[in-house]
Amino acid sequence: MDEARINRHGFKVLFEKELTDHLESWRFWILFLLLIVVGAASLRGAVNSLTSAAQQASAQGAQLTDFMFLKLFTTSGSAIYSFSTFLAFLGPVIGIMLGFDAISSERAGGTLNRLAAQPIYRDTIINAKFLSGSVTLFITVFSAGLLFTAGGILISGIEPKPEELARIVVYLLIVWVYMSLWLAIAVLFSVLSKHAATAALGCIALWLFFTMFLSLLASGLAGLAFPGASGGNVLDVISAYRLSTGINRLSPYYLLSEVTTVMMNPNVRSLDIMSTLESQNGAIASYLPLGQSLLQVWPQTVAMIAEAVICFGAGYVCFMNKEIRA
Amino acid sequence: MSKQKSFSGMQRIRAAAAAAVLGTAMTAAAAAPVLPVNAAGSVEMSTSYPGVAVKPGDNVSFTLDFQNDSSSGEEVNLSQSGLPEGWTGVFEGNGRQISAVYAKAGANDGLATYSVTVPQDAKNGNYSVVLRGDSSALKLTMTVTDEDTGDSSLTVDHDKQQGVSGTALTYNITLQNSTSSSKSYALSAEAPKGWTVTFKTTDANNITSADVDAHSSEQVTVTATAPKDAKADSYTIPVTAEADGQKLSTKLTAAVTGTYDTQLTTADGTLSFTAGANHRKAVTLTVVNNGNLDLSGINLSANAPSDWTVEFSQDTIDSIPAGQTKSVTMYVTPSKNAISGDYTMDVTASNQETSVDNTFRVTVKTGTAWGIAGVVIIAAVLAALAAVFRKFGRH
Repeated sequence: MDEARINRHGFKVLFEKELTDHLESWRFWILFLLLIVVGAASLRGAVNSLTSAAQQASAQGAQLTDFMFLKLFTTSGSAIYSFSTFLAFLGPVIGIMLGFDAISSERAGGTLNRLAAQPIYRDTIINAKFLSGSVTLFITVFSAGLLFTAGGILISGIEPKPEELARIVVYLLIVWVYMSLWLAIAVLFSVLSKHAATAALGCIALWLFFTMFLSLLASGLAGLAFPGASGGNVLDVISAYRLSTGINRLSPYYLLSEVTTVMMNPNVRSLDIMSTLESQNGAIASYLPLGQSLLQVWPQTVAMIAEAVICFGAGYVCFMNKEIRA
Repeated sequence: MSKQKSFSGMQRIRAAAAAAVLGTAMTAAAAAPVLPVNAAGSVEMSTSYPGVAVKPGDNVSFTLDFQNDSSSGEEVNLSQSGLPEGWTGVFEGNGRQISAVYAKAGANDGLATYSVTVPQDAKNGNYSVVLRGDSSALKLTMTVTDEDTGDSSLTVDHDKQQGVSGTALTYNITLQNSTSSSKSYALSAEAPKGWTVTFKTTDANNITSADVDAHSSEQVTVTATAPKDAKADSYTIPVTAEADGQKLSTKLTAAVTGTYDTQLTTADGTLSFTAGANHRKAVTLTVVNNGNLDLSGINLSANAPSDWTVEFSQDTIDSIPAGQTKSVTMYVTPSKNAISGDYTMDVTASNQETSVDNTFRVTVKTGTAWGIAGVVIIAAVLAALAAVFRKFGRH
């Protein structure tokens, strides 16, 4: 689309307005600063943990890892979560915050019918709102992630290798997809519900369910389906593990945790416990190249991208079918 | 035994007897002087071995015994006659040259010695000298038996040795120069093809000649090194030392034992390769026979992780002659469940006599088929979104 055509549809104006609104809003800055602060705290904790781990390793004459810098992202301090955990945990909140009132607030404020009365296509409204939110998320993820990287270099003095930087970039991209998925969910809720509060509560409920309760549900269901697992029956243990993993993978939170595991630790060769067990013989500890690591988490990434697109598509269809009145 | 005994009171008889004995001995000598025996003396000079064999350049000593039958000691003047020209003979006692001895009453064994130096150019034959001691005379006969070439020799301590090909066998040789002049022997060995043979003494390495003084010997160490590819066999190495037309020779025997030395590698020595999961990968192996024995019936086998398939273009190599190389293609198919990363597998080449193995590092890459499927899914979802845009866009 050339510029004239974008302008004719009013997309550019709307997109820029929405982006400005996001970046100037108090609640965005509160959450962004919260992310930066917990990022700094988790960096401090990670450096402390790694320092003692490295001292212990060198005292034993062992090498900790060749990918020390990546460890800064995934190592938690004694009293604080790791940065990757915070991203997985707070990312959805930022996504929800940017999207839960996208449509419903316009409707509640009575501005939606005015907007729809402008000579723009109706879908431009929802497209611009989603895209501006997604771009805001991109800015958030990369500014927080790169600040963390820079701070990590400054505090720890570890030089990241090119491969580590590439892994960090890929990881941040996938985190961005993950947060955009939550944005799409929030936009869908904002289309479906009349009130912004309903949308917000619905999103928060879903977020809590996926991040906290699904794993409990999964292990409970797996235990019910394969009662022999608790008795130590190996086949049942494996089946139960597979069932609970399958249920857990419904959650974007779990998908992102798998992505984090593989991308930030080149030692991890496979996520499937059985193929790991089956292929143990003859295998030697080695680092996977970036491409092979990416191949391991490609299904997870595809699932998140597809889920985001489907959620947005559903919100789009609902929005286009909605009657807009004063 | 020609020691003559005399008894007191019977001097006349004794003198006559002595004259008779000496006279008999003189008949062998070329120029036998008449012995004027002084019968008045009572001291009898004698030696245990009046006839000896000598070599040119020798120094021979005769121990002289004096028997004094009188009751009192007596001085005896010593003299010699009949020594051939060029020969020197002296009387010695207590480390000095002497001209007389004092014989106490009774037996005086080993009171003096008579030393004769045989000239280097002495010809073969019998030589004699007559010693006198006042009343008694003693004829000594020296037979020069040595020819100039003498019994110079080249002898080996242990002439048969064995070793694997490529190792050095050392032989200790004694080069004996029994001639009367020092000689420089040119040393040479007729080594079989490919062998290296070197000579050395305690003083110098890699010598081609050895100087040996007259009537002395020299220790020479011969080092024979078989070539790496020498066949298992027994080899004879003739060694000669030549000087002034004199040729000394001996033979060394070196038995080369058979060794197996097999290597299993790839053409460029790389022992790692990349293979896709469930994808057949061809790797060219080379089996090198570095030993000196031909190998036959070499079986190739591999110990790979479970569910992997390893095949060879030929499971058995019929034969590899010594020093040669054979190539075999190995086809490795990692299990379809193999996960990304590195694995090890052992490949063994063995026959009944020898076995060699090597460990390969296989980097498994999982296929991108599912990655493409993921791209297709994303494309399908986006296409569906585009369809939704078109249908509901109300453009």
